[in-house]
Amino acid sequence: MNYLDLAWRFFGTSLLWFCFGLFGLLLSVFVFPLLYLFVREPVARQVVARKLVAATFGAFMWGGCRMRVFSFHVNGLENRDPDGGQLILANHPTLIDVVLLLSVLPQVDCVVKDAVIRNPFMRASVTTANYISNREPADLLDSCVKRLESGASLLLFPEGTRSRPEQPLRFKLGAAEVAIRSRAEILPVIIDCKPRFLAKHEPWYSIPSTRPHFEVTILPATAVEQFVAGSLAQRHARHELNVALVSLFDAELS
Amino acid sequence: MDSDELYSRIRTILIDQFEVDESAISMDANLYDELEIDSIDAVDLLVQLKELTGKKIPPEEFKDVRTIGDVLGALTSL
Repeated sequence: MNYLDLAWRFFGTSLLWFCFGLFGLLLSVFVFPLLYLFVREPVARQVVARKLVAATFGAFMWGGCRMRVFSFHVNGLENRDPDGGQLILANHPTLIDVVLLLSVLPQVDCVVKDAVIRNPFMRASVTTANYISNREPADLLDSCVKRLESGASLLLFPEGTRSRPEQPLRFKLGAAEVAIRSRAEILPVIIDCKPRFLAKHEPWYSIPSTRPHFEVTILPATAVEQFVAGSLAQRHARHELNVALVSLFDAELS
Repeated sequence: MDSDELYSRIRTILIDQFEVDESAISMDANLYDELEIDSIDAVDLLVQLKELTGKKIPPEEFKDVRTIGDVLGALTSL
């Protein structure tokens, strides 16, 4: 093991997170108040806020690559529809999956957990960007479907949380249900990160022995009907779709 | 609404909307294992119970609910 390399990546990771927090705070304190002042129209404000989020996340990814903390490569970007309306489903191996994906897929909607909305470093950006809160489970599915129907693309991690390392992939039913109800086409995104990095139950300062690489593959968009054999109206269609999605991801990740 | 009436309302919802077999329903029947209610149904049920009673079982409390009896208990304790 190269200890110098390890120490460097530890330093780089710390610096990245420090900058991430600092940037979030600066945005919240200086940039977003100005945004509220000068852009009065909420939809226009949302567009600008999402551009800022994508730029910040892009800077994070760029910084991480430049400092050789990690590397990443995205395949199949042409499969996304820039006009929106796609349900983007990704597996969730690391803490920074959303940072990576939003940096290459700007303006998409996503669900943000309540804890993030209450985090002072991120609060202003996620509320101005008008992402969906997971606070009310009863409203969550409806909000997701509505956003898709209004023409936005929505990013969901069907696992609901980061993957459990070395465990079989398990999707919650929510994402499948959103697909069934909205009939939006599904854009599967496979995230493969090797070696394991920023995984569930692992602290940010746990640095793998070699430099992690993210290989992201955006598969061609597929209609829901392609996955479900029976009628979509059936109550069990979500289970059927869920099984089909898990096997698709399993096959791509193996 | 007393708990007998609530029980019969829940019964109706389970049979009509969630395709539960009538004979499987009892106070002690486990919603998830025995009645095959999934997480999406559970949220649906929560919404309908709120419309029915005006009472809202907090999601964190609903996590501990396992049987129809638990649902009634949670509703009456509100």
